[in-house]
Amino acid sequence: MSFSNLLMKTGANGGLRSSQTAALALLNVSARQGHTLRGKPPGVARTLEQRLRDENVIDPEVTARINIGFPQLKPSRSAQLKERLEHLKAQRSSKELEQLARSNKLVIDLEKVQQAYVQTTGQHDLRLLADHYGIFEHLFGSAYFVPRVPLTIRYELDANTSSPVYNGNVIKPVEALKAPVVSFDGQLDPITGKTATEGDSYWTLLLTNPDAHYTNGEAECLHWFISNIPNGKLNEGEVLAEYLPPFPPKGVGYQRMVFVLYKQTARLDLSAHKVDDKDHVNLEKRNFSTLQFYRQHQDKLTPAGLAFYQSNWDESLTAFYHNVLQLKEPVFEYDFLKPYLADQKFFPLKQAFNLYMDKHRDIKQVNKEYLQRKLAQTHPFDGPEPALRFPNAHPIRDVPSWLRTEIRKRRLGTGRVQDY
Amino acid sequence: MSRSARPLTSARVLHKIKELTTPASDVKYVTNRNPRNLERLRIAYKPSGYHLEKPGRSYWHTLEINTSGRYVNADVKHFENGTILSASTSEWAIKQQLFKTNDTSAFVNLGQVLAQRCLHAGITEMTCNVEAVAGSKLEKLLQAVEANGISFKEPSRLPNTQPWDAYRHEKPWEVSEQSETSVTQNKQK
Repeated sequence: MSFSNLLMKTGANGGLRSSQTAALALLNVSARQGHTLRGKPPGVARTLEQRLRDENVIDPEVTARINIGFPQLKPSRSAQLKERLEHLKAQRSSKELEQLARSNKLVIDLEKVQQAYVQTTGQHDLRLLADHYGIFEHLFGSAYFVPRVPLTIRYELDANTSSPVYNGNVIKPVEALKAPVVSFDGQLDPITGKTATEGDSYWTLLLTNPDAHYTNGEAECLHWFISNIPNGKLNEGEVLAEYLPPFPPKGVGYQRMVFVLYKQTARLDLSAHKVDDKDHVNLEKRNFSTLQFYRQHQDKLTPAGLAFYQSNWDESLTAFYHNVLQLKEPVFEYDFLKPYLADQKFFPLKQAFNLYMDKHRDIKQVNKEYLQRKLAQTHPFDGPEPALRFPNAHPIRDVPSWLRTEIRKRRLGTGRVQDY
Repeated sequence: MSRSARPLTSARVLHKIKELTTPASDVKYVTNRNPRNLERLRIAYKPSGYHLEKPGRSYWHTLEINTSGRYVNADVKHFENGTILSASTSEWAIKQQLFKTNDTSAFVNLGQVLAQRCLHAGITEMTCNVEAVAGSKLEKLLQAVEANGISFKEPSRLPNTQPWDAYRHEKPWEVSEQSETSVTQNKQK
């Protein structure tokens, strides 16, 4: 009896399947107790991944990106390979190294790895990471570049300690109060990757924050601007905007601070972008758009270096807002999606009426009641009543059950009471 | 006819949803464009819908390790952006200091390099679904990554708390390190 039932069901699901496949399916499929498949069976229906891919199709022509950076002249592969193979051969024949490796005591020099990484594949990886952090999208629109000049940036805290800037690490505002120490090879030719010996090269360094603007979401905040840096000597450059430390407000989260190094073709007059000393803390004057700036000077400037870090609020910023920026400290709160509530009913069944009503009442009225109740129990000089040591041990008598639950929740500190 | 007696139409539902999602005009809004911000604050979306798969895809960042006959590659992947960070013993920067590119010391050193690169990139937490045999070199790699400051436990998404909920969740952005010393201790000399 049950067998024939099953046959009928698989027949209904499979549609035009032959009896042979139905019988095969019978062997594999266990009995579906009263359930039928909704939609196509797995294997026939598209997977979630496929459906999402079809829904979010990207047109490659629309999203095509342009490389605005320097091209790279690769060194001769055969010469490089010869040198490398020799080195590896020496490594393999080294007795001490073998001993260290076989006894699992070989510890490689991480600093040396980092140096070689920066010289070889590191800058390509930095481009990927910058894309992950949305740096190019928010600074240059549909353009990108592969950084060719490695930047070394450190925020010096005291004589021995410093916070280095890499690509996305977190540096607190208290560590970034003073201008960082920036160094790079100013004689480096970004195309060949070799140090040029003759002729002066000029560079521009910009520090901007693409997340800091309160009125215009597209604008950036200019934190530091030095142009005409001769041969990488930062202190000889022309400072167009003095360094301003990061000031991410409370509640906004992590903001990106992006250093971009441009190579100039010659000495440039960028004084149109100058921020005067008297406007040092005038945030309106520090509005900046990297894209506009680049469009204006793209014939003479080429982006060559990139480094960035993230920063979020800390206690030191309260004083910074009050004393330096002369502003009231802003505090933000994440705006969570409000819940969807079904239309109110006359007779909501199977629900506690007081909770149901609280959901639909004016929130200001609810707040007022909770606050009034709290203040009524607070002595103006002695403060609030001390909490009960065993809140559930005190009997609640002669009250309806909903009120008993309410009182119990109030005593235990669960539910709405926590908000006041 | 009162509202409750009328049947609910899809237009009415859409209207209500629109009302909920449009910001009030009298409130000042700012947008943090940093795509990694909400992940750090534990608010961002994590992919769901793959719970029938093992090990699933509910992560922001995950570690993937591929071994070939000669080399070992470790990649950090993002659910949307794919591979964002990688380290491999086939890289010249690492290979030049190794004796062999797939022995135990190569695995351990690769773990250290990967951890360093993750810290430089501001990625301190990720999931890791690599199944390593106990005592194997793969396990030693994972241990080296963890010992160098990477956590293989990614925090869960922060649930959206409603006023009528029993408990409130601690909000990551309201927790701050009070002492400056703890910040500076971790920095390199």
